[in-house]
Amino acid sequence: MATLTRSQAEELLFREALLIDTRRYDEWLAMFTPDIEFWMPAWRNETETTTDPDRELSLIYYKGRRNLEDRVMRLTSGLSTASSPPPRVVHVISNVLLTAGDADTAEVSAVFTCHRFDVRMNRTECFFGRYEYALRRESEAWLIVRKKIVLLNDVIPTVVDITSI
Amino acid sequence: MSIDTAAYVDDRPDEGIFRVNRAIFTDEQVFEAEMARIFEGGWVFLGLEAQAPAPHDFFTTFAGRVPILVQRDGEGQLRAFVNSCPHKGARLAQTQSGNARLHVCPYHSWSFDSAGRSKAVKWQKAGCYSAAFDQQDHGLAAVPCFENYRGFLFGSLSADVPSLADYLGEAAKLLDLVADQSEEGAELVPGQVTFTYQANWKLQLENCSDAYHFTSAHPSYIRVLERRQQETSGEVVASVWENSDYWKEETQGVGGGSYSFPNGHVLNWGVFGITPAIPLYESAAVLAERHGEGKRDWMFNMRNLTIFPNLQVAENASSQLRVIRPIGPGLTEMRTWCIAPKGESDAARRQRIRQYEDFFNPTGMATPDDTVSYENCQIGYAGRVDPWLQGYARGMTASVEGGNRFSDRIGLTPARSVLADSQLCDETLYHAYYRAWAERMGGAE
Repeated sequence: MATLTRSQAEELLFREALLIDTRRYDEWLAMFTPDIEFWMPAWRNETETTTDPDRELSLIYYKGRRNLEDRVMRLTSGLSTASSPPPRVVHVISNVLLTAGDADTAEVSAVFTCHRFDVRMNRTECFFGRYEYALRRESEAWLIVRKKIVLLNDVIPTVVDITSI
Repeated sequence: MSIDTAAYVDDRPDEGIFRVNRAIFTDEQVFEAEMARIFEGGWVFLGLEAQAPAPHDFFTTFAGRVPILVQRDGEGQLRAFVNSCPHKGARLAQTQSGNARLHVCPYHSWSFDSAGRSKAVKWQKAGCYSAAFDQQDHGLAAVPCFENYRGFLFGSLSADVPSLADYLGEAAKLLDLVADQSEEGAELVPGQVTFTYQANWKLQLENCSDAYHFTSAHPSYIRVLERRQQETSGEVVASVWENSDYWKEETQGVGGGSYSFPNGHVLNWGVFGITPAIPLYESAAVLAERHGEGKRDWMFNMRNLTIFPNLQVAENASSQLRVIRPIGPGLTEMRTWCIAPKGESDAARRQRIRQYEDFFNPTGMATPDDTVSYENCQIGYAGRVDPWLQGYARGMTASVEGGNRFSDRIGLTPARSVLADSQLCDETLYHAYYRAWAERMGGAE
């Protein structure tokens, strides 16, 4: 089978962004394998992020889609003050590169900006950083088996949820 | 600047009245006076000794608005300085932490050794300085008071303060419960998380001690816990809350309570029991042997501790050290770390970190519902039709002088205490904050 092409990788990342931005969370979750590693490291100092999620703190670390389902449940429950009304977000994804791959796996790097309008406080923020993806071919579809988000502006203005990174 | 404290805190114990005026959270002149009198005029927490473990290590922080450098010299002695070059005032150390035998000011190259002494004034001989200048000390300004209590470092920009031991008083025993979880003491897990919120610093002060909000502000998190309880699997993030009925409204009997101490220190606590959901569980037996069962059991209690005005150690879902940094009346920065006993096992450390991220992080599932509520309060404080808040009245008839059978177990003597079932949710512990506040804000300059 053919390896993943860059345009296929772009389409996958762009679609994921659209699903988050339009709050189609069930479809978004379906893009992940059940054993997804979803990781946004914290910063150890001015220049280095943490690298070992077991010994160092992350901003978010989940092993297993099950945990992301919890996050979605919280977001959509109507029971979280911080999540309702939901902020308006748009992700802009660029610089998509294939960094490794074979017939059944691929690694992709990209950069993102996420613009968030917090309707609750009438304030606009921009979060930016880098993505590293690991993808796996399951039947005919490519699924996300690992997503690492390096958030570069990590002083958090009140809240950053999974929708703004 | 003199503040009429009675305009902000209405404290009439004989009449059963304690009220706080909304303006205490918003007035610019109150904030200025808080900076001068509380944060820059008395003891504040600066950091942990473990943040500068080796010779020449340093870290930077703030006391109020003043940048502070905590520096260990070559012989191992720690000192605290104003992180500002005496020449033109530029901030000297630029990073959160590091190792430096010498700090060289990036502006005009004045240099200082790791004991804060002047090493060189660039081109001093050629500088045509007066004799008066040459006789001056060109070293860094030391923070007038700097003390280390069991690895917790405190400083005061005013020399006119009690000793740190007197300032902490009995509340020091609650820091012991953190420091004594390992024979080697406590450390900060690498990875600091900083967040801001658009509200007053005292909202964070109160929220840490607020048992009343949990089921109201965090129902979405509680729903996640309930779901995890029903279908536990290896991959979900286990939480201590799942294994405790402490937070459940229907729980009967004494589940915890509060202690308050002179100088504004406060503890809100609850019984979790010796459960494997707590990362410290692996040490339960050895801690009982080392410190006695009473102290060991206290290490396993849920404990939210405030050392007034800027340090909070929250040991509940995991263990967090927070430093409150007020920036303006309506803006606060929180610097937060996972604090952990040194030498714990890999499994315990992993469990502690996972629980921490889920609960404490501003990217997690609980803290944002607090900080957004602070912002809602700050907005609501503009309402002055009745300026007096009603949030300081629960527990008024339950609060007693001194301790109780639980504090007796560790020989702890608080000024006041409340024993609570799950629905009492004492608010009188905030009185300690505002009495200390009034004492500091109201006296002569």
